[in-house]
Amino acid sequence: MSGFHDVVYMAIATVGLTVVTFATRSSFFMLPPSVQLPKSWERALRYAPVCALTAIVAPTVFTRDHQPYISWQNHQMWALFAAAAVFARWRSMTAMIIVGMAAFTALRLLA
Amino acid sequence: MTRLRRHFFAACPREAYQRGVASMMPFALAISVWGLVTGVAMVNGGMTIPGAMVVTLFVFAGSAQLAVLPLLAVGAPLPVVWITALLVNLRFVIFAAASRRYFVRLPWQQRLVAGYLNGDLGFALFTREFADDTELGTTDQYGYFYGGATVNWVAWQLSSFVGIVLGGLAPTSWGLDLAAALALVAVLIPMANKMPAVAGMIVTGVLAVLTVRMPLRLGLLVSIVVGGAVAVAADVWRSRRTDAEPAEMATT
Repeated sequence: MSGFHDVVYMAIATVGLTVVTFATRSSFFMLPPSVQLPKSWERALRYAPVCALTAIVAPTVFTRDHQPYISWQNHQMWALFAAAAVFARWRSMTAMIIVGMAAFTALRLLA
Repeated sequence: MTRLRRHFFAACPREAYQRGVASMMPFALAISVWGLVTGVAMVNGGMTIPGAMVVTLFVFAGSAQLAVLPLLAVGAPLPVVWITALLVNLRFVIFAAASRRYFVRLPWQQRLVAGYLNGDLGFALFTREFADDTELGTTDQYGYFYGGATVNWVAWQLSSFVGIVLGGLAPTSWGLDLAAALALVAVLIPMANKMPAVAGMIVTGVLAVLTVRMPLRLGLLVSIVVGGAVAVAADVWRSRRTDAEPAEMATT
């Protein structure tokens, strides 16, 4: 099932991901100056990353074995809440990851 | 070597380059933590060590790399993988549009490389530093840009490689995929500063959890499209209500 050990799959995936990096980061650097970003597109471009990241994070934390997993026993959920609170207060990714993982590990071992 | 450098990088004074290096240095630790987590998550999730190294070197986009990880792990269809990375990276299109005026005069190879290096932090520091400059595309600006980009790139690659090597040693029961998710949340929270973004996040998050059983991970794309549409609609509605005030950029 895992794609990681399929060399062809991984190679094609990586080539495509590299193209995506250049296509987005260098996009307007490569286009002729007459091509401007339409104002109406700006909205969609602004919100797409927020939604895409949410769509990745939410199932990682709130599902288990392909089932929604909203429960007091969901350790990842508590870790996420603790981490988010730390980040909201101190704006430090480092502190956030440490606190979140510490909370998760403590719950995993003790609860 | 020098010829190769001149081909891909614009000439710049050493002093400006060093100023750029100094401006990025305070962020080197945060960049390294982020790189370390990404490296560990890739290998811990099952990616081979050489595979993870190639991805890190070429893709060079932490949030996109982490975002596609669970998709690659289940062998999701490649278009779903690429579209997801594209959506996560769309913010860079705005960055490119906003900082293009500094780089338009460079030859195309140098613009291509500058774009590749124009990540979140570099963009934020650079545009803040030169926002008031009337002259665009000076060698001072290029030096500052390359200096910051060098620190960012080196710190990222080194820490990623360390993470990739260490990642295989950590048992999966440690839940390091959670560390990857937390790193993404750190990118996400500053973006959630306006009502439309929060509305989009809630709708996307709920849908992504409910559609987790859809085949081929299509639930992911469905939730992004619906959530994104809600965010755009909320933004349109809000800006109409506040008398067509121009929506401000939330990216920096």
